[in-house]
Amino acid sequence: MSELKNVTGQDVESPILARVVAALGGMVLDVTEERPTQGWIRVDPARVREASRVMFEQLRGRLATVTGIDVRDGIDILYHWTFDADHYIATIKALAARPSQAIDSVGQDLPACNWIEREMHDLLGAEFRGHPDMRRLILADNWPEGVHPLRRGFKVPKVDGNGKRETQQWAGAADPEVTGQKFSAPKKPGLGRTLINVGPFHPLQEEMEFFQLYCEGETVVDMDMRTSYNHRGIEELSSRLTWDQVPFLVERVCGICSASHPWAYIRAVEGIAGIQAPPRAEYLRTIVAELERLHSHMLWLGLAGHFLGYNTVWMWAWKYREPIMDILELVTGSRIHYANNRIGGVRRDVSPDMYPEIRKALDSIKAPMEMLTKAVLDDPVLHARLKGVGVLSHEDARRWGVTGPTARASGVPIDVRRDHPHGAYDLVEWNVITQDAGDVFAKAVVRCLECFEAVKIIERCVDQIPDGPIAVDVDHIPPGEGCGNYEAPRGETFHYVRSDGGPGPVRHKIRAPSYVNIPSFKASCIGQHIADVTIILASVDPCYSCTERLARVVDADTGKPRYTFSDMVRISQERTRRLRKEV
Amino acid sequence: MGLGTWALKKSPWVYHVNVGACNNCDIEILELLTPRYDVERLGMVLVGSPRHADALLVTGCCTRQAEPRLAELYKQTAKPCVVFCIGSCACTGGIFRHGYHFSRPVDEVIREVDPGAIIAYVPGCPPKPEAMIAGAAAALSTL
Repeated sequence: MSELKNVTGQDVESPILARVVAALGGMVLDVTEERPTQGWIRVDPARVREASRVMFEQLRGRLATVTGIDVRDGIDILYHWTFDADHYIATIKALAARPSQAIDSVGQDLPACNWIEREMHDLLGAEFRGHPDMRRLILADNWPEGVHPLRRGFKVPKVDGNGKRETQQWAGAADPEVTGQKFSAPKKPGLGRTLINVGPFHPLQEEMEFFQLYCEGETVVDMDMRTSYNHRGIEELSSRLTWDQVPFLVERVCGICSASHPWAYIRAVEGIAGIQAPPRAEYLRTIVAELERLHSHMLWLGLAGHFLGYNTVWMWAWKYREPIMDILELVTGSRIHYANNRIGGVRRDVSPDMYPEIRKALDSIKAPMEMLTKAVLDDPVLHARLKGVGVLSHEDARRWGVTGPTARASGVPIDVRRDHPHGAYDLVEWNVITQDAGDVFAKAVVRCLECFEAVKIIERCVDQIPDGPIAVDVDHIPPGEGCGNYEAPRGETFHYVRSDGGPGPVRHKIRAPSYVNIPSFKASCIGQHIADVTIILASVDPCYSCTERLARVVDADTGKPRYTFSDMVRISQERTRRLRKEV
Repeated sequence: MGLGTWALKKSPWVYHVNVGACNNCDIEILELLTPRYDVERLGMVLVGSPRHADALLVTGCCTRQAEPRLAELYKQTAKPCVVFCIGSCACTGGIFRHGYHFSRPVDEVIREVDPGAIIAYVPGCPPKPEAMIAGAAAALSTL
């Protein structure tokens, strides 16, 4: 790794970083370039909006996420911009200095930044001047104002003598019944509009999420979302663990991205410490990760079928997914939380007698996958249901910063496996699948075809895997900072890690792909029918089920209940039946 | 054993509640419905409302935002009902126990509403589908 410390953009080694620094010009205060794929640029905080415009419009970068860190002088805001075609991550740093801790909001210009600024306000207390909607996003309604969990010196309330944790409110906090509504209440619908509350509990779906649909008649004109029900404070927990314990924690960010989150974290840390895992470990990591992608896409296919009324698709997709779960259990010891990835390599090896089992399982799903893919691609009713529905345009996909199949279906050709090479992805042949239409049908096609690519990758890895050690010894992580990303089944998962040479990370930022994909509903659901909402929301594969939990549809004016969840799914399934008769 | 209890044991209708989980237990619960495990042969059906439910399958460590809603949901569930805490997070808080957004383990939330609640624990991270079926069978046989 080269060690170059430069000021105001001179003698920068990486061409893309040089281009960025040149474009930013006088805004740059300091440049650090520690390794060939990542660079850090400190800019004048008064000019962040201008800098972001340069990065997005002029240089065509993609905002992966924004990290806030509590530092001595204020809140350091790190904007992580990726240049996928150039395999580079350039982070812009701007300090929101004390005492005001305020900085101009980039979210007012760029929708991709909207939610993350609200989150940083909740968790760190940073102020974003000009943000269009600074309601509480991620903390509970009864969380006291002014207490920010990611600040240094924050302490979780103690357990009292009876073994009870202080749960409702801390001393001095206002009454939660009163303040909860004020902090995060949905906006009033306005004349002629109905507010449909969708959530937080859903009979079939898994997570609690709370969406608000603003409708004029049958057409959705606006959407909003309250998230917090699933917030478990993982970033703060991570800062209290050791380096080796963190993968076990981040595995449990999401059940279906169990291989993805640890690998992104491990990439960040291996980058800081300059560790290269042995080749056999890279192949093993790739095999497990692609198996995860396979089972996740088949899971989504089943769900999509269910929402459209094709329950047979659901049952068959999940039945044929079971051999993949068996192989994961064979290779890693567990069907879902694998715990096989660690800094420096993997924990468990694959013995040669497992290879025939892996090949047999992959062969067993090829025919069913072809059948299911044909069922999706050739069915005229599905065409009528999914084509032209929930279109996310190429430009909107860029503005909202979406990733994964959601982006690739809109013609944005990004895939972390190809753009930021790691694992065995640059050692085996495979294709990135893109479509142009941006509708739900395109997303379904991308996922179906990616299953075949995943099968190819696993088979080639099994054929080519070299012998050798499965891990290197790691005894120390030096001070530094790093970004690690990985292509989870839903899109890019992005981790930022900062080390001060201690036993664990001092700051660990986690941005799951659904965090950027879900808000794009504002672009893809507007103008669509209520009957299509379930499938559009499911089309970004929101972590299997961050989707709306339809509890009741209540007329905002009269307060009378109109639809329950089962009504909404029935409406969606009825539309399919109607179309089937017409086609 | 009354007719109601006999009917409950023969065909427990379940309502699934996620109060802050990683979705792993939730996926395994859904897999119970799919052809390999097929709990419908045991009479178990996922229902759309807690008022129709004989059993609540609760997953997730209870987050602060979810806690009052879980209590409300338990109140709405038709009694008698069995609360299954599926997974380590629901049993004890699991790996998120020391997090700032974790409020209390699920059984404490339920017992505050109803000290006599019937609660069954299926630990694991996630518990395998076979374990969930075994746990359900064991709990129902005690009724």
